[in-house]
Amino acid sequence: MSDILRDLFPLVWSGMITGCLYALGALGLVMIFKCSRVVNFSHGNVAGFAAFLIYGFSSGVLLELSWGAAVLLTIIAIIAIAFLSYAVVSPLVFESDLTATIATLGIGLIAQGATLLIFGADIVSLDLPVPRFSTAVLGLRITGYDLTVLAVAVVTIGALFFVIDFTKLGIAFRAISENPFAAEVCGLNLRSVHLFAWIVAAILGVVGALLIVPTTFLSVTTVAAFMLQAFAAAVIGGFASLPGALVGGILVGVLMNLFTFYVSPEYSSTFLLGLIMLALNIFPNGILARVEGFRV
Amino acid sequence: MSDQNVSLPLSPVDQAGWRSLISAQVGTWLLIAVALCLPLVVAGSWVFALGICFANAIGVLSVSVLVRYGGEVSIGHTFFSAVGAYTVAILDTRFGIPLWLSVPPALALGVVAGILFAWPSRRLSGIYLAVSTLALALAVPEIINNADGLTGGYEGLYVSEPLVPGVKMSLQRYYAALAVLLAVTYGLARLRRSRQGLALLLSKSHPAAADAFGARQVWARVAVMGISGGIAALCGAMLAFAGSTVSPSGFTFWAAIFLLVGSVVSVYGLTFPRALIGGAFLTLIPQFLSASGAWIPVLYGVALLGVILAGHYLPRLTQAMGRRKGGA
Repeated sequence: MSDILRDLFPLVWSGMITGCLYALGALGLVMIFKCSRVVNFSHGNVAGFAAFLIYGFSSGVLLELSWGAAVLLTIIAIIAIAFLSYAVVSPLVFESDLTATIATLGIGLIAQGATLLIFGADIVSLDLPVPRFSTAVLGLRITGYDLTVLAVAVVTIGALFFVIDFTKLGIAFRAISENPFAAEVCGLNLRSVHLFAWIVAAILGVVGALLIVPTTFLSVTTVAAFMLQAFAAAVIGGFASLPGALVGGILVGVLMNLFTFYVSPEYSSTFLLGLIMLALNIFPNGILARVEGFRV
Repeated sequence: MSDQNVSLPLSPVDQAGWRSLISAQVGTWLLIAVALCLPLVVAGSWVFALGICFANAIGVLSVSVLVRYGGEVSIGHTFFSAVGAYTVAILDTRFGIPLWLSVPPALALGVVAGILFAWPSRRLSGIYLAVSTLALALAVPEIINNADGLTGGYEGLYVSEPLVPGVKMSLQRYYAALAVLLAVTYGLARLRRSRQGLALLLSKSHPAAADAFGARQVWARVAVMGISGGIAALCGAMLAFAGSTVSPSGFTFWAAIFLLVGSVVSVYGLTFPRALIGGAFLTLIPQFLSASGAWIPVLYGVALLGVILAGHYLPRLTQAMGRRKGGA
């Protein structure tokens, strides 16, 4: 019994840490879906491309910059890419969300191909400049990486919720998610709010990718695979609820960790598939659908 | 929305419509005739490639059916084609059962898999199905590799049992795939005119009207996925037979997305020529670009966006041109 508890505690903790990252990815997906009804399938590939750009800018493959400058430059590049992708998708958004969703797959394919063309299919490692320390609290090993992830996730998500709850832009975003037609009648510009969502989502994707890569390595497929967890988190949260995405992310992180430890690490995608199907059956409108008072 | 004009597009019912319909029919028959005679003319490697092309065309059809009749996208159809392919391959290698006996169970399993898969998202918008197919696509290689006792793992299985003993195997592989492709397009043409097909289309485009007529939404969604899964299983069965080997490398996540790309490039067409365009796009481009593999996703992505944007802008352009002509 105590054995199980001893294993369980660290598993849940590390699951929560990675879950925060899945939540970051899921929040981006949900933001885009909420306001434009498009599922952005290019999310993972573009974020992966961004992770490679940071690697390229800081390691000397493309440029030799400090880590901070590389991240800054990448974020600028990613904003440009988000702008371009929305420019491609925007004429389709108002016509058919299905067509626009398919179009994002095309963007994802191009991002994937660009990554392969520029950086090749090799595996590289990309580390975070975080302080290396670890302490033990109640038998739990807490590392500098854990605390960094937690801090970054809390600050980013807090800032996002603050913007959406209290700024004009956030009110416009909520209005458009609620009723695009009425919002347009009131003089809101749909496209600029959509663009806001796309850019924020892209940046969230970069942050998530940057923080997940140190736990594994960086290859063409790692970040795209990481985004499957983000998709699962978004589905569990109902795909149209930002707090739902957060809860879903943490839930997926913890459950995945438990599954890979206790059952099998080889069937992780299959497990996610089962989780998505189960969530669709039990909470078709998301895990927070019955809780009232959430409006983000 | 403000830039859309109020006038409705004119319905294209005129004499030219009938004429183009008849010429399209003639074109299809000509194409079928060419496909039937081609193995007599071209080299063996091309016969093989064309067999795969027909099999891929069936896969493209399975995705197009889903888009046309269900209004849904799938990026996980490799799951259903893998079901078909492994059914044929396992029955072949384990029990020596030839293709004509192993295709019916493959088809049945595909239909059942499609229905089971559509069930959880039956009441939700198509977005949920699309997202769950993403997970499906990523799970396929994992399942195949880990169930290696049954599927042969990375090495895969070799399909060798002939369909008709005594006939040259390369010709069998070609004609079997062609025959199934023709059967599927014929079946889809029949479906378009059948009551069931019309009910499916109605419940896609006018859900409330379909409800009023007694066509239930849940039934429609699940049925479309069942049909689509069955066709995809036929695609897999034919990929196994025409390609002679079945291995996880044929059912990757990217293969699933490429099926959708093929469907978009064929403009979701359900006819023989359109399916052939999609299949050829999937089969021949990787052959031409085999030396520079990284260009394939770029090219596919550009083709996907190009076709979608052309589909968006071309009608507007022609409309604008027509207006200018009419005004002058």
